[in-house]
Amino acid sequence: MAILEIKHVSKFFGGLAANSDVSFALEEGMIMGLIGPNGAGKTTLFNCITGYYPPSRGEILFKGRRMNGLNPDKVCKLGMARTWQKVRPLARMSVVDNVMVGALCRTNSLKTAREMAMEQIRVVRLEHRVNVAAGGLPIGERKKLEVARVLATRPELLLLDEVMGGLNPAESDEIIRLILEIRKSGITQMVIEHDMKAIMRISDRIVVLNSGEKLAEGNPSEIVSNPDVVAAYLGSEH
Amino acid sequence: MRMLPQSLVNKRGASPVRVVLTLAVVALLFFFPRLVESTYALHIMILIFISIIMGSSWNILGGYTGQYSVGHAAYFGVGAYMTMMLLQFKQIPPWYGMWAGMAAALLTALVIGTICFRLRGPYFVLASIAVAEIFRVTTLNLKEITNGAEGILATELPPLRIGGTVITDFLTKVPFYYAGLVCVLLIIAISLGVQHSKLGYYFQAIREDQDAAHSLGINLTVYKNAALAISAVFTSLAGSLYAIYVGFIDPTTVLALDLSVQIVLICIIGGIGTIFGPVIGALVLIPLSEALRSNVIAEGLIKSGLVNAESGVGTFLTDHLSHAHVLIYGILVVIVILYMPDGVLGFFSNLAAKRNRGNA
Repeated sequence: MAILEIKHVSKFFGGLAANSDVSFALEEGMIMGLIGPNGAGKTTLFNCITGYYPPSRGEILFKGRRMNGLNPDKVCKLGMARTWQKVRPLARMSVVDNVMVGALCRTNSLKTAREMAMEQIRVVRLEHRVNVAAGGLPIGERKKLEVARVLATRPELLLLDEVMGGLNPAESDEIIRLILEIRKSGITQMVIEHDMKAIMRISDRIVVLNSGEKLAEGNPSEIVSNPDVVAAYLGSEH
Repeated sequence: MRMLPQSLVNKRGASPVRVVLTLAVVALLFFFPRLVESTYALHIMILIFISIIMGSSWNILGGYTGQYSVGHAAYFGVGAYMTMMLLQFKQIPPWYGMWAGMAAALLTALVIGTICFRLRGPYFVLASIAVAEIFRVTTLNLKEITNGAEGILATELPPLRIGGTVITDFLTKVPFYYAGLVCVLLIIAISLGVQHSKLGYYFQAIREDQDAAHSLGINLTVYKNAALAISAVFTSLAGSLYAIYVGFIDPTTVLALDLSVQIVLICIIGGIGTIFGPVIGALVLIPLSEALRSNVIAEGLIKSGLVNAESGVGTFLTDHLSHAHVLIYGILVVIVILYMPDGVLGFFSNLAAKRNRGNA
């Protein structure tokens, strides 16, 4: 069953079409890679899905429910959570408090929230940083914190916006391991990433956006051999 | 790596030393009027209490939630005017009037919050100033209800009775002292309660990053309004206390921009977003402004022999220093803000943190 359906979604900023007529669906438990050159409209699509922008046209269905016009907090409560391309740590709060803010989405008790938070902190392996202020973490750990925080909201669908951006290869490997681990726990994921090797490795299916439109969709091997995709990334041969 | 102010990271558990120390201070405060006869000292303490109440109230909205309102005089004024109008024109005693004031402040806060929280950052600040100015100008012009620029003078305060026995007749400053002290303890308890609850976590998340907070399931409108509501209700309580203590209010004292700024300053000087920041702020600012206003400093300099009373400098200081109190006050505030950006409390806790790291 499709957990997320995107039906003919368009988003206009003035006359500019950041997304035009994009349609695809995510099956439960899969990892969907979302790729495309800079300015292709990947993050805009994330913002439309998670309620930061209302789509100008089209429909977004999450577990069969229409999501258009819902606020981000409501979207999160319904079980869809996102991370940010530019990490947004709650700088002057400690690591565990950051994750607790996420957990408090599902409980009113600080004690339960702390337990839920510690569980996710172990998943991303930040136990040694529990009481450090989030603003003092290096970038790799900030990205992990971001993931722990959204996981604490107990999502069914996770949207990861470039969690590997700016990381060194060792850190990227850790994130890849983390994403695969999250899949094992049954959470569906949609991942925006620029690192082709990584995205090919983790994705069950890939959607390619170019200038706001869907250029191609398929499994990783179909995508690498698709001439349109190659042209969009490398320029066409003449 | 920049060191972050430790005080803003939630700490759990209070050390026994701290608990004992706090209890000792509270006990001392309860016996203060018995130990000290001076009405002037009591007066200063009452002013400090009122400042702590309004500072701590502002702190819940400004310090924890990060919404810098520079229009809190509006809620202070609502409390003060509600209490005084009911007392003077309807003969309703202030201990009922203050509840009416708090209810009115709550309603006002919800209306204002719903409108102003659409704005962020500096635009919210401007809107909050504008709202307070609207209240001031309205109060000035609604002469039939508020007495306009003349203000309201409380001619007589009825004695407080519980079941026929007179508790107090408000003839001395002592009952006001205790009323203030109880309210201070109440607002500190509420701040602690907020800090150690879901509400506190959500407020701080909104302060640190609104968009991130929103994406983590926090309804911004609901929680910002909750912060403003708590803040406004207790600011109004401070207003009621001030009104019945001083016995006279007018728009230029209880609804002025000066007052809004003063409320914010208490927190900035003490340390924003900490429980005891406003306490420290009030303890610094009120005695400072009183000392500058009176001739204490000039007299002190002369008595200590630093300045000769007969010399030109001596006569100049005795004649003019108190006139420049606002100027000196302003300069001192600027110095504190420049050199102690986390407030007095933050400055000392950073210092302590540095020393600890040095030892380690």
